[in-house]
Amino acid sequence: MALRKKSRPDLHDGHAVSRSTSTSFDQLYRDHVDVMYRFAYRLCGETEAAKDLVQETFLSAYRAYDRFRGDAQISTWLYAIASHACQRMRRKRKGEPERELSLTEFVPTSGGEFSLQVPMEGLSPQEALENKELRQILDRAIAKLPRKYRMVLVLRDMEGLSAKEVGGILGLNERAIKSRLHRARLFVRRELSGKGLAGEFHSDVTTGHR
Amino acid sequence: MADRVRTHPGTRKPTLHLGHGKRHCVKVLERLSAYLDDELSGDVCREIRAHLGDCPNCEVFLDSLRQTDQLCRNRPSPALSKNDRASLRRQILKAAATT
Ligand SMILES: [Zn+2]
Repeated sequence: MALRKKSRPDLHDGHAVSRSTSTSFDQLYRDHVDVMYRFAYRLCGETEAAKDLVQETFLSAYRAYDRFRGDAQISTWLYAIASHACQRMRRKRKGEPERELSLTEFVPTSGGEFSLQVPMEGLSPQEALENKELRQILDRAIAKLPRKYRMVLVLRDMEGLSAKEVGGILGLNERAIKSRLHRARLFVRRELSGKGLAGEFHSDVTTGHR
Repeated sequence: MADRVRTHPGTRKPTLHLGHGKRHCVKVLERLSAYLDDELSGDVCREIRAHLGDCPNCEVFLDSLRQTDQLCRNRPSPALSKNDRASLRRQILKAAATT
């Protein structure tokens, strides 16, 4: 393959010609593929779609490498590429239709809706998450989020980026990020409450079957 | 949320700006993420804490939001296998070479 632009990462499969490894594709890939896969899996909720997204991300990163000016952290830059790729990829997904979430829809109206109806009593979050059914319910709740809210929840709460960083990645101000994050959390909370589960969580699980 | 009828003993000082009633609960609900993320001023925090102390529903709701957040933060994510990492890399290089 032709490597006309020197600033592109070296793509010679395993045989680096210019050994400026700091800009080589292999190093970019090696250093970031695990984080990007984790992010992609959290966005997509399943393996094959996550792999597609990782592939698309690194391909775009390779092509756009000239435009990476180094004024952003390389991981932030990759998150931005992956987020855009995710928005482009129109895979069929089981989530809610893209829509605005309003605060008023999250105001509980009856008793069982105030608290979570999943087994957490006396457990650390890590211990609670050993329960497979709880993991599935949580994953399903996140997958159901309209995409623009899921994106913010994953970047902020799961990937642990700051609101400012997430704003940079998605091209939004911090205020918008915080507003979306709040609605996303309220949505997931509702899915784990009596309202969202509506008898789905069976008693054999709530009694500590792990 | 505060749908219970409350009776206030005469000793109680009316210090709550947020007061009672569903309208106030909604105002609290609007700010719970900012409250959890410690983004509010001391005054607003105090008002919210006062409301929570007086409104069991909001307090339970806040706990459930905090738990939700902790579950999200601690949800482990599967790692890419060595084989998948290598084969993905090959696919990317191939795609980059042909386009
Ligand atoms: Zn209240």
